[in-house]
Amino acid sequence: MRDLLSYLTQRFFWMLLTLWVVYTFSFILMRSVPGNPFSSERNVPPAIERQLEARYNLDAPPLTQYIDYLVGIVTRFDLGWCIRLEDYSVNQVLAEGLPVSASLAIFAMVFAIILGVSTGVVSAVYRGTYADIGMRTAAVLGIAIPNFVLAGLAILLFVFGIKIFPAGGWGTLRQVALPALCLGAPIAAYIARLTRTGMLEVLTKDHVRTAFAKGLPKRTVIMKHVLPGAMLPVVSYLGPATARVLTGSLVLEQIFALPGLGSHFIHAALQRDYTLATGMVLTYTVILFVMNTLVDISYSIIDPRVKLQ
Amino acid sequence: MPPQVRRAFLIVAAVMVVIAVAWASFFETLPPADFSLQSGTDPKTLDPHRATGNIESRLIFAMFNGLLQMLPEGEPDPESGLQPMTAQPAMAKSYDVSDSGRTYTFHLRDDIFWTDGSPVTSHDFAWSWQRMLHPGTACEYTFQLHGVPFAKEYSESTVKVGDKVEVELWDRPDDTDDKASLQNFPRGTMRYGILREIEKPDKPPLSDDASDKQIKNAEADWQETWVYHIDVAAENADGSIDWDGQTKSQTFVANLESAAKKTDTQRCHAVMIAFGKLGGLETPDYKTFVVHLKDAIPYFPNLVAYYPTFPVNKNCVEEHGSPLWTKAENIVTNGPYKLQERRLRDRLRLLKNEDYFGVNEKGYDTIDFLSMEGQNTAINMYETDQISWVTDPPAALLGELIKRDDFVSAPQLSIYYYQINIQREPLDDVRVRRAIAMAIDRKQIVEQVMKTGQLPAFTLVPPGIAGYESAKGPIFDVEAAQKLLVEAGFPGGRGIPKITLLYNTTETHRAIAEVIQQQLQNNLNVKIELQNMEWGSYLDKRKQKDYEIARAGWIADYPDPNTFLDMWITDGPQNDTNWSNQEFDRLLQDAGSEGDPAKRMKMLQAAEQIFIDEMPVIPIYFYTSLNMIKNDVEGFFPTAQDLHPIQLLQPKEGVK
Repeated sequence: MRDLLSYLTQRFFWMLLTLWVVYTFSFILMRSVPGNPFSSERNVPPAIERQLEARYNLDAPPLTQYIDYLVGIVTRFDLGWCIRLEDYSVNQVLAEGLPVSASLAIFAMVFAIILGVSTGVVSAVYRGTYADIGMRTAAVLGIAIPNFVLAGLAILLFVFGIKIFPAGGWGTLRQVALPALCLGAPIAAYIARLTRTGMLEVLTKDHVRTAFAKGLPKRTVIMKHVLPGAMLPVVSYLGPATARVLTGSLVLEQIFALPGLGSHFIHAALQRDYTLATGMVLTYTVILFVMNTLVDISYSIIDPRVKLQ
Repeated sequence: MPPQVRRAFLIVAAVMVVIAVAWASFFETLPPADFSLQSGTDPKTLDPHRATGNIESRLIFAMFNGLLQMLPEGEPDPESGLQPMTAQPAMAKSYDVSDSGRTYTFHLRDDIFWTDGSPVTSHDFAWSWQRMLHPGTACEYTFQLHGVPFAKEYSESTVKVGDKVEVELWDRPDDTDDKASLQNFPRGTMRYGILREIEKPDKPPLSDDASDKQIKNAEADWQETWVYHIDVAAENADGSIDWDGQTKSQTFVANLESAAKKTDTQRCHAVMIAFGKLGGLETPDYKTFVVHLKDAIPYFPNLVAYYPTFPVNKNCVEEHGSPLWTKAENIVTNGPYKLQERRLRDRLRLLKNEDYFGVNEKGYDTIDFLSMEGQNTAINMYETDQISWVTDPPAALLGELIKRDDFVSAPQLSIYYYQINIQREPLDDVRVRRAIAMAIDRKQIVEQVMKTGQLPAFTLVPPGIAGYESAKGPIFDVEAAQKLLVEAGFPGGRGIPKITLLYNTTETHRAIAEVIQQQLQNNLNVKIELQNMEWGSYLDKRKQKDYEIARAGWIADYPDPNTFLDMWITDGPQNDTNWSNQEFDRLLQDAGSEGDPAKRMKMLQAAEQIFIDEMPVIPIYFYTSLNMIKNDVEGFFPTAQDLHPIQLLQPKEGVK
C-alpha cells in the first residue's frame, strides 16, 4: 500500500510539472501564430478592439497575462471565458462536451475490448485455419483503414443500405452505435493482434503444457492459465488506446454531428480561441495522465512481476 | 500482490465497466422537433449586438423582433424566381417619415410583450440602441446607426473640447481599484457636462523597435491618463440635462496614476459624447419612438429590420450580465420563437412564442437548429428525413443536387472578388490591373467550377437592387487585354514578375485560383503563384497589406449599393487595397446627403464607374444562395439576401 501511495504522489507531481510545461508551450505557441481571436472580415474601430482585448485581459503585457491566467486556473480551476464561443466559459464547454466524449469513448473501448479479445483468442486457438486467416486479414484492414473512411462505408451500409441507424446526431443509443463502432474498430483490430500474439506465446509456456498434461479441459486451460498472461500486453495498450479514442473522435464527431469535445479542439486552434485551446490541451493532458496511471496500477496488480516505482 | 487482491481487483474492474456502460447509456433525450434544420457550426453568441454571421442571424431573426422586419411583398420575379422582400411593420405598427427624410417616427403596437411578460416600449429601443453603440458592448455593426447624430462619435469614443459629454464614474457594481468591471450595463454614476479642456501629460517614450501592437497599446494607455476638465451640469428630474444652467467645474481621469491628476480628480471609465441626452433618439411616450438622422437615408427602414438594431431586454441584461443573460434559463426575447434549450455543438431548441403578436397558428411548434460541422452530414441527415432544410449543401455534390426539385437556388446580393494591393509593382499601373481583369474568363469559372448558376461579375454591385443600374465594367477580351499590357510596357507579358495570389484554404477557392492562374498564363503570359493560408493567418496578411492579389467576398448588409461601395472610401476600415480616390469619396459623401432617390442612385453609379475603371478589385462572380428544403414545407422561397423568415414556414396542407 505504501508503494502505491508514494507512486501516486510521484505521478501527481509529474503531472503537475507536465501540465505547467504544456500550459507554457501552448501559451507561447498560441500567441506566436499570426492572427488574433478578433480577426474578422469586418475590421473594428480601435476603441472597440481595445474593449474586446480588455474583456479577455489581452491588453496586459504577456507576462502578466501568463501569470493571471495561471493563477486563475490553479486557485479557482477557472479556465476563463471562451473568446470566440463567447456565451460560454471554458469550464461550461468542458462540462457539456466531456460526458459526450466520455460515453462515446466508453462504448468504443468496451466494444473494442470485447471484439478484439474474443477474435484474438479464437484466432490463436484455431491457428492456421480459415477463421484465423480471415480474422487476421480483417485486423490488418482494421488497423490500416482510417476511421473516417470506415465511417463513410458504415454510413453507406447501415444508413442508406439497411436502414437501421440514423445518419447523425446525439441522444439515443442508436445514434451512438455507429460512431462507437467506427471509433472502436481500429482499436479492436489492434487488440485482436496483441491477444493472438500473447496467446501464442503463453501457449508454448511450461505451465500451460503442465495444465494440459494434468488433463484439464482445453476451455479451462485457455481461460484460467493462458488468457491472464496473454492479457498483459493488451492492458498496457489500453493507455495509448484511450488516447487514440479521444483524439480519433475529432473526425467522427464531425461526420456524425456529435456534441463532443473533439471539434472544439480544431476550432479553438483555427479561430485563435486562446482560452478554449489552453483549456482543451490541459484537459486532455490530465485525462491521458490519469488513464496511463490507472493502466500502470492495474498492470502491477495482474502481473506479479511488475512493481510500481 | 496477493492473489486475493488480484481477484478483488478483477471484480472491481468488471463492476466499474458495467457502471460506466450503464452511465454512458443514459441519455437526456428530447422529443423530436416538428421541424429541424442544419444550423452550421455553433452560434458564436445569441446577443444581437455582438453577433455577426449567417448562422447567428438566422437564430436572432427567429428569437428577436425589430421595429420592422423583412417580409415578402409582391410577386416573385419571373426571371430569377426571387421573392422581393421589404421592411414591413413588426414591433412598430407604422411609421412616419418627415418631408426632409431625416426624422422617422415609429408607432409601436400595443400588443407586444417580452417573454417575461412585460410590454415592449420605446424606452427598450432607446436603451438597446445606446447599448449597441456603447464601445464596451463591442458591436461590429455600430455603423448601421451612424446616421443618428453623435452615434459615430459615441461608438468610437471620440470627444473634442466644447462637446456635451457624459462621464461614467468608476463605481460600477464590480469595479475594483485595479480592474474595471466588464459589465458596461448597469452603468456607474453618470455626470453630464461640457468639456472645457483635455489636459494631456507627456507621452511616455517608446523604444524604436516597438511593434505595431505595442505602439497601439501605448497610445491607448496614454489616452487613459488624459485629464478632462468638465463643467458639470445638473440633471433634471425627467432625465434631461440643464446644459445652460449652473455648472460646476470638475476634473476626471481614467487612470489615477496620471501625472496631470489634481487632488480632487475623480476616476471615471470614459468621457464620451452624451449621446443619450442629445436628442438623437426620442421617446415622447411609451409607444412612440422618434429617430433623427443627420441626412436622409433611403434604406433606413432596412437597417431597423436588421438584427443589430433589435431590442434586448434591459432588466435581463442588467440582472444577469453579459454573456450570462443569453443562457436559455435567463434569456428574455420578443420574437416569433423563444429559446427552450441550448446544447453546445448539438442543437438549439426553439418553441413557438404564443404571445407574439403575429404568431402563425399553422407554424411549427418546435424547431431544432442542429449544429453540424460537416456538409455531408447535413445531406445524409436530410436524405434520411432527420432534417428538412439544408442551408449549406456540399460543394462536391452540387452538380447532382441542382437537378432536384427540392433544391432552391437564386442570385444573391453578394460578390466574390480578387482585391489588389495597388502599391505593389506592376499592379500599381491601372492598365495592368485592367488587363488582368479582362483576361479572366468568368464564364468558364461559373460554368465549369461553380456549376450552380452563379453570375459572372464585371461590376462591384450585384444586379437585383431596385432602382439601381450597375456601372459598366470591362468584359472578357483577350486582345484588348494584351494591347493594354503593351501600352503598360510589358509586351507579351515580358518583364512582369511573378504575382502572388493569396486565398484562404478551401477547395473552391483553390479550384478558382488554379483556373485563373491557367487563364492568365495562356492569355497574357503572366505568371501567378498561388499561396493559401488558413483563415486567421490570411486575414492577418490582408490586414497588414502584405499581399499582391487576395481573394475576398462581401455580402450585402442591406439591399442598397452603398453597402458594396462605402467600404472602399479612403482609409475605410475594410479598404486593404491602398486605393484612394477623392472623386469617389466625394460622390459617396454627396450621395449620402442627397434627398432624391433617383439622383442618389445616379451618383452611386458614377462612383461605381470610377471604382471599376480604376479596378482596385477584380470582380469574379456573384454568389447564388443554395438551399434544400423538403417538399412538405410551405413558406420557403428564394430571396436576394438569403433571408427565410422562420415564422412563415409551415407544413403543407394535406401532407403528413
